[in-house]
Amino acid sequence: MRRVVVTGLGAVTPYGAGVKPYWAGLAGGTCAIRPLTLIDAGGFRCRIAAEVPETAGGSPRRSRADRLALGAALEALEDAGLTAADRADAALVTGAVGGGMLEAEAWYWARARGERPPGWAAALRAILPGSHAETLGHRLSLGGPRHTVVTACSSGAVALAEAADLVADGVVDVALAGGVDAMTRMCFMGFNALKLLDPEPCRPFDRDRRGMSIGEGAAFVVLETAERARARGVRVYAELAGHGMTTDAFHVTAPEPEGDGMARAMRAALAAAGVSAAAVGYVNAHGTATPQNDRIESRAIARVFGEGRPLVSSIKSMIGHTMAAAGGLEAVATILALTEELIPPTATLVTLDPEVAFDCVPGVAREAAVECAISNSFGFGGQNVTLLFRRAAS
Amino acid sequence: MDRRAVVVTGVGVVNSVVVGASPALGAWLAQPRAAARVAVGHGRPAARLPEATLAGLVDPAEGRRLSRVCQLTIAAARLAVAESGVDPARGLGLVVGTELGDFTSTIAFADGFLARGAAGLSALLFPNTVMNTMAATTAIAVAARELALTLNVPTVPGELAVARAAAAVASGRVDAVLAGGVDELDPLVAEMLDALGDDAVRGEGATFLVLEAEAAARARGAALLGRLEGAAWRALPARPWGVGRRAESRAIDEARRRAGGRAPGFVYTSASGDAERDGWEARVLAAALGDIPPSASLAALLGQHGGLGALRVAAAAWTARSGLLPGDAGGQPARVSGPGLVHGLARGGGHVALMVSAA
Repeated sequence: MRRVVVTGLGAVTPYGAGVKPYWAGLAGGTCAIRPLTLIDAGGFRCRIAAEVPETAGGSPRRSRADRLALGAALEALEDAGLTAADRADAALVTGAVGGGMLEAEAWYWARARGERPPGWAAALRAILPGSHAETLGHRLSLGGPRHTVVTACSSGAVALAEAADLVADGVVDVALAGGVDAMTRMCFMGFNALKLLDPEPCRPFDRDRRGMSIGEGAAFVVLETAERARARGVRVYAELAGHGMTTDAFHVTAPEPEGDGMARAMRAALAAAGVSAAAVGYVNAHGTATPQNDRIESRAIARVFGEGRPLVSSIKSMIGHTMAAAGGLEAVATILALTEELIPPTATLVTLDPEVAFDCVPGVAREAAVECAISNSFGFGGQNVTLLFRRAAS
Repeated sequence: MDRRAVVVTGVGVVNSVVVGASPALGAWLAQPRAAARVAVGHGRPAARLPEATLAGLVDPAEGRRLSRVCQLTIAAARLAVAESGVDPARGLGLVVGTELGDFTSTIAFADGFLARGAAGLSALLFPNTVMNTMAATTAIAVAARELALTLNVPTVPGELAVARAAAAVASGRVDAVLAGGVDELDPLVAEMLDALGDDAVRGEGATFLVLEAEAAARARGAALLGRLEGAAWRALPARPWGVGRRAESRAIDEARRRAGGRAPGFVYTSASGDAERDGWEARVLAAALGDIPPSASLAALLGQHGGLGALRVAAAAWTARSGLLPGDAGGQPARVSGPGLVHGLARGGGHVALMVSAA
């Protein structure tokens, strides 16, 4: 197995386009969850979300999600300094769920009103999650292995794990991987139907939490072999030292109550990285702020790491749950926590749930130099992923 | 790195003409007949599995609770696991390829809102709007607790799922993976495909294979139905949903290299009736292989769907064992020899190659 490192980062987030505003927002504990504007929230108890204020990625003929993905992917490629020749053999792994659903919904809603708007075929072509990979692959001239993974809310993290395998196994030397999701009516309505949305900004790990907030965005990273990065003389942000992917095989929406699948994913990541639990100083939690997830996730973390340590935080307190983008965005946040020696806070946490036996970094970011950090992502269907990042050798 | 040999130990097929494990598929391949095509909504006639057949393949509770595409997936997956005899408790992964996911439930969920507002939203339907719903329900049904991926790509999701699963087994990350693909066809899907200008001959169904590390399969005395000698996937340049011009295939080269450089004696292609795409694939194969050996796609007989790629892999293993290659027009199979190439090329450039031999 070859060592895999991160050499490029890109993000489009509710703070705007770019990794810099993203990290500034997280480090400052700024909550970007605000009243919804992209879709009509009338008739729903929850009317807030974390929307991207502007979209990069060029032509408005592309779906909003495609534009989010292109903005983040371009930034990551430029950050890594990849040439056209590098890209010709680069793998592309995209985590996606909603595809261009926002635009397809607009068409379908109009049809339901008795209108016959043009563009049905174009909307349908963009509706499938795999459409982003086609857009990115074509626009960025990526000619290596390409696939789109859909594992619900863990899709972005799975994309990084998949790409890391391709690099580690010698299939490719470099890969672009990440996740994307734009706001959609389906997602907003669905979580409303499940009664999982908090009408106020979500409060992960809080005793009084009442559910999630939805967000949107995209994040991509460039992965390559450590040897190649060294030879190119480029900045290495961190090593993606290991990952674990497991399935609960328990329920289509609810996590397994003991967190067994989550714990197996964390242990698998530790084993793959050859890292002891004691070496992990920070857990970027899935931390959705639903009563079930946060309790079960903290239980699973305790089973692997013991109670009381490491530091645990959820950036969903600031940017909401960005669905398929979440795993990518949280990976970027975890990497920057290592490089900047600053743990992003659980910004909206006021009163820690007594069942959560960790310091969840309430309110304000915390200075801390840690050697290794993990990012947890869990999706519908019990699709659990843990990514383990190790600080780059100085 | 050392790579483990990967074998097929179980096959499960559920479509309008084949329902069963590898013997049922072999019987059909020996004397193939085309699926009857029926009207599906306003769409063109297509091969659709009768409801009574599907109802007999899942238990009544699943029939009531699960969407139709999830039922198709579970039925085929169970057949494959049963034939294999693999013990999921020893670690079983799952890779599901699909072109369309549970589009039917997605539209039904939206229609609930459009008819009755927030009160019309179904919490039961919502999880089905996420494309991993087939993997989620199947993982529960067969107790697959390792990695569970859903892969989405036009035309070649089944081929891609098998290639990805084979890589996971070959690298040693998991000992056994259930891999295949699924799509369903109902009036809404047929309408969608018509709107897309889809020219493929359409069908529906699911095919899943159990892939295992050969050493582990032999150690437990499993019957080996075929061996995946090499698998690779790449992208060829093309606009989204478009057909490209370039014909040089690194996926075929890579799959052949992993198979020791052997030339295929036959090819299962992804020709689907989409003339523009089919022509591109023919150019790619000619560029890679020179004279294309005898080939078949089976799409004309079974209809294009996400399960067809995995079915072609199982068929290639059968052909490698029997020396018989069925014709796309039915009739008597042709005599062939050697390992086979299963090849897939999608609009948009998704590209998969697998070399398959008799184990």
